[in-house]
Amino acid sequence: MSLRDKPIRQKLMAILLLTSGVVVVLTCAAFLTYEFVTFRQTTLKNLSTLGRIIAANSTASLAFQNEADAREILSALRAEPHIVAAGLYDKDGRLFARYPADLPVAALPAAPDQDGYRFEHSHLVGYAPVAQASNARLGTLYLQSDLTAVYGTLRLAGAIAALVMGVSLLVAYLLSATLQGTISRPILALAHTAKGVSERHDYSVRAPKLGADELGLLTDAFNQMLSRIEDQDRARLQLITELERSNKELEQFAYVASHDLQEPLRMVSSYTELLERRYGDKLDDKGRTFINFAVDGAVRMQRLINDLLEFSRVSTRGKPMQPVDVNRVLGAVRANLSVAIREAGALVTNEALPSVVADETQLVQLLQNLVGNAIKFRGGERPLVHVSAQPGATECVFAVRDNGIGIAPEYFERIFVIFQRLHARGEYPGTGIGLAVCRRIVERHGGRIWVESAPGQGSTFYFALPTGNGGQVP
Amino acid sequence: MALLKTTLGIRACLLGAVVLLPWGPSLGAQAARTPEYQVKAVFLFNFAQFVDWPAGAFPDSTAPLIIGVLGDDPFGPYLDETVRGEMVRGRPLEIRRYQTIEDIKTCHILFVSPSEESRLEDILANLKHRAILTVGDGAGFAQRGGMIRFISERNKIRMRINVAAAEAVRLTISSKLLRAAEIVTPGKP
Repeated sequence: MSLRDKPIRQKLMAILLLTSGVVVVLTCAAFLTYEFVTFRQTTLKNLSTLGRIIAANSTASLAFQNEADAREILSALRAEPHIVAAGLYDKDGRLFARYPADLPVAALPAAPDQDGYRFEHSHLVGYAPVAQASNARLGTLYLQSDLTAVYGTLRLAGAIAALVMGVSLLVAYLLSATLQGTISRPILALAHTAKGVSERHDYSVRAPKLGADELGLLTDAFNQMLSRIEDQDRARLQLITELERSNKELEQFAYVASHDLQEPLRMVSSYTELLERRYGDKLDDKGRTFINFAVDGAVRMQRLINDLLEFSRVSTRGKPMQPVDVNRVLGAVRANLSVAIREAGALVTNEALPSVVADETQLVQLLQNLVGNAIKFRGGERPLVHVSAQPGATECVFAVRDNGIGIAPEYFERIFVIFQRLHARGEYPGTGIGLAVCRRIVERHGGRIWVESAPGQGSTFYFALPTGNGGQVP
Repeated sequence: MALLKTTLGIRACLLGAVVLLPWGPSLGAQAARTPEYQVKAVFLFNFAQFVDWPAGAFPDSTAPLIIGVLGDDPFGPYLDETVRGEMVRGRPLEIRRYQTIEDIKTCHILFVSPSEESRLEDILANLKHRAILTVGDGAGFAQRGGMIRFISERNKIRMRINVAAAEAVRLTISSKLLRAAEIVTPGKP
């Protein structure tokens, strides 16, 4: 997991720790470098001082060739354990005395080198001139010091630096753990509130404001947004509830009305028929025409009521959704419409159709309305109806294409409204409810329906059914 | 830098002499071949560096430091070679040879030749109040009132110093020189 995906708390701590860590490391590095450099210099200076003292003391030994005295003087170097070797050379460069006394001659340079002190490998070596006051040179003193003191000091300094680093980082950790809260707490509170809102859709919660800084402003803005959403949500819920209630009432009303209208209508139509049968011969032509109008009106009203009932039943008498093979549905439609198909000489073709999750009865009704319309609104030619399907990721789009009279674009919406007709009753029979029922069925399935057409060019009705909640079954 | 140059110059000048001076302990094989008086000549020269003379011993600050040899000179060319071109504390060195004690006018280091052994008491008595560092190699030289005696010991030259005699004429012998020598008190063997 990259730093980008870490919680903000860890991110802040990481930033703080990294910053202080780098500072501490750089400081310690500077400290160690300083220690190392100064201690090397100090060691060099100490050795050169020691060299000068020993050289000054050993002048007489060299001048008067007293080896024992020279050895004794050199043996004083025991006090400085870092001196691992020393040698006294006479003015001809021959080794005169050495320290420690048992040091092999080979461990010392065969002849003295140039005066001065220098670091060689793991040692500090130096050559100091031996002369009495400012007089002629009597010889050379060689000193060799190991650098364990330097490394020891460096180790100590390193240990101190490590300790300082550890303590600093610990303090930095504790401080950052405390201080990061000032930034992360308001953000976390915001995030927590936002999460709660999106998970529970509870717009009544408010993020606590923990300061008047930018985060405080953000919190305020967020809370204001929440209250606005809460207000709107409440208004929306209210509206939905009202709509649902009125819709239900309307449906109930439509159902009850159409149902209850049947009875008196039946009475009107049966008594009108009775009137015609019993007293038809007693009436003149005008009276019989009136009766015919009354019967015709009653029959039309009967059909309207039936259609209205059918329309309201889409939602009140719906059956549960289950996988349906649309090929089978189309078969049923063909059977139901067999008379109309035969009479019109229509040809209903189809591609392989998928299965969908739907109310089978309503799906039959839907397709039957569309295929029926395609046959009904035919032009001069033989009706050709083609049913196809285009399965997609989220929805399956069905198409019913015909070669009928077509529809002008300005009517594309109107045709789906209940009891809206584009043609005179004499031209094409029907109450104008078919497409309204289609739309209601499609909407009950969570889909949509639309048309593409032009007058005289035939029409294609599309309806899309969602493939979600188990969706399309292959 | 000047010191270094001088030192190098001295080294170069002395090369002839020092190459022939392996009297040192680490070079025992060559030691036998090193003339004893060559070493003694160098020692005489070195005394100039480790002894302080009282004020008045020199007429001025650049006056030469005089090393005298009383009696027959046993050094041959060595003494002259040793001091040639050398300076000690800004003074040039000069070698003088005396036949009698009366010849000695200004002198700072006097080597009493073995040839003067018989007259030693007189010589030392004569020099008793003069700020002259007396050096000799005769037996009992230091006990008899001389200041420094050379002793040959297993191919090495050792010194025996009579500090009291030196102090009596206000000669200060460096403690470093005393370290390298044996100190004797007159009257004791």
